Amino acid sequence: MSKIVEVKGLKKNYKDFEAVKGVDFHVESGEIFGFLGPNGAGKSTTINMLSTIVKPSEGKAFINGFDIVKQKNKVRSSIGLIFQESTLDEKLTANENLMLHCKFYGVEKNLREARIQEVLEIVDLTDRRTNVVETFSGGMKRRLEIARGLLHYPKVLFLDEPTVGLDPQTRAHIWEYILKLKEKAGITIFLTTHYMDEAEICDRVAVMDGGNLIALDTPDELKRNVGGDILEVTTENNEEAKKLIKATYLTEVKELEQVLSFHVTKGDEFLVEFIKTFNIPIKSVNLRRPTLNDVFLQLTGREIREEVISQKDRMKKQLRQGRRGH
Amino acid sequence: MEAIYAIWQRDILKFFRDRTRLVGSFAMPFMFLILFGSGMSGAMSTMLGGEGASGPLSDFNFVEFMFPGIIGMTVFNTAIFSALSVVQDKEFGYMREILVSPMSRVSIAIGKVLGGSTVAVFQGLMMLVFVPFIGISISYMTIIKLFPVMFLVAFAISSIGLLIASSLKTAQGFQMIVQILIFPMLFLSGALFPLSGMPAWMDVLVKINPLTYSVDMFKKIIFDVEQMNPVLVEAMGLNLRIFDHVITFTEEVVVVTIISIVFVVLATIKFSRAEA
Ligand SMILES: Nc1ncnc2c1ncn2[C@@H]1O[C@H](COP(=O)(O)OP(=O)(O)OP(=O)(O)O)[C@@H](O)[C@H]1O
Ligand SMILES: [Mg+2]
Repeated sequence: MSKIVEVKGLKKNYKDFEAVKGVDFHVESGEIFGFLGPNGAGKSTTINMLSTIVKPSEGKAFINGFDIVKQKNKVRSSIGLIFQESTLDEKLTANENLMLHCKFYGVEKNLREARIQEVLEIVDLTDRRTNVVETFSGGMKRRLEIARGLLHYPKVLFLDEPTVGLDPQTRAHIWEYILKLKEKAGITIFLTTHYMDEAEICDRVAVMDGGNLIALDTPDELKRNVGGDILEVTTENNEEAKKLIKATYLTEVKELEQVLSFHVTKGDEFLVEFIKTFNIPIKSVNLRRPTLNDVFLQLTGREIREEVISQKDRMKKQLRQGRRGH
Repeated sequence: MEAIYAIWQRDILKFFRDRTRLVGSFAMPFMFLILFGSGMSGAMSTMLGGEGASGPLSDFNFVEFMFPGIIGMTVFNTAIFSALSVVQDKEFGYMREILVSPMSRVSIAIGKVLGGSTVAVFQGLMMLVFVPFIGISISYMTIIKLFPVMFLVAFAISSIGLLIASSLKTAQGFQMIVQILIFPMLFLSGALFPLSGMPAWMDVLVKINPLTYSVDMFKKIIFDVEQMNPVLVEAMGLNLRIFDHVITFTEEVVVVTIISIVFVVLATIKFSRAEA
């Protein structure tokens, strides 16, 4: 495998605010690489630097061997981009949007027709080809953008929050397409998300927070590092229970919405032992494998809080649509 | 080259798809012709020669006088507002699709200016449908002469539009600035009334206004100035002078060409510096 994206000490300052504080990583050719982090972590800023939209304040990065500052046009030809916000021309038809893209990227004339057909098939939009984009649903627009991003056969496809604001069914669909792409085209996919379940699908995940890369590994490895399983209990007296668990098992206990949770090794054996010996009345217990949310929690001491974030995104999206309405 | 063509083609495609814009662009010049032309022609004739003026001045027809100005106004408006699409593309995100592609910024800027110019020329030529109602006659030769001049003017003004649009982020801001700019330029161009007997300071503004030369070129093409009575030529303001030198058509072409080049270069530089 080769390193299709290489990043060395990449930094971005906006005035005296450090949006990205110097990150180092690489992406292997052909993998799905995920950027996970809460709002304002610096995910989009990093993607924007890699895709030559924003000039880095410091550091270097190479895509497909090309320098993102010195060889902008070569980099641009090597990548496909799907932004967090839609960049379709809604007054034009799907076909017109795609045809313009071919021209922008210098796709050869005699290849255009076949390419457009091909990418529309990947995202199941063949029958909407001559419809004006305005009439598309949110999910269809997203799919069309993905199709457009593929037209020039990029080496790396960047997807910034590809499923934000979409219903679960459409999200699942978009993921089907992304996985299909990986298999079919052997394309490298670099995406950002703050949905845990989406990060799970990635080959490797980089966790970002406050402009720093705080972890980078496969989802399994990241979870393994959390250590064992997670036991969640509610009791008659949480205050006392917390103290008791800390004292008995020498572990950190977190409380969230009346539920105490802590890490245990060999969870199944521990659970039996725990119920037998714990002398504060237990209301409920739940033993589970760690999720990436636990990874995040352990790394930062905070939850990524999917619900809160997705609400905020819905609002953002509504605002955006409102603005477009007139 | 293909990049320039693609950017141009998108603007043309969108222009012809937008019916309201097509109709709207007719409404304004039409209103001007009716209101100013027919409504005020009496007042104008009175001002020029008194009631029942005799001699050459009785030939003065205000609607006829206004017509080249209306064409100029249409070309001007369409060309400068075509740059609105640049700001809208920024607002709606499409500018990113354009800017992250491997096309050179220069091609994009040229494509935009050419798109705006083409649309403006089209609109300007469409104004010729009013010809039969005004009672002037225009030969094919006139149209063939009008065409390149319109294009030159449209190119200059589109470049000014792109320069403004490249410096702004919102459509509202753009519209405001253009409105502020457009009215004095129109009023001080001789498009709507003859520019004779102005105070000196205003005369200076008239002479540095690129529209003055643009409108005058249209007038010189549409009216057969050489065949006209000198008194009438004077009254209609058809003898533009700088320090007693009567400006010729060729000089006007040179002036507008220079303006075009200066602004297209400035606009391209400004546009190229934009971050997506
Ligand atoms: N153009 C800008 N000027 C000033 N600050 C900026 C600019 N763009 C981003 N920032 C700041 O940089 C930080 C990182 O923003 P970024 O958009 O990269 O976050 P993100 O991880 O993509 O978040 P989200 O999940 O909300 O998309 C934020 O605090 C943001 O306010
Ligand atoms: Mg983002």
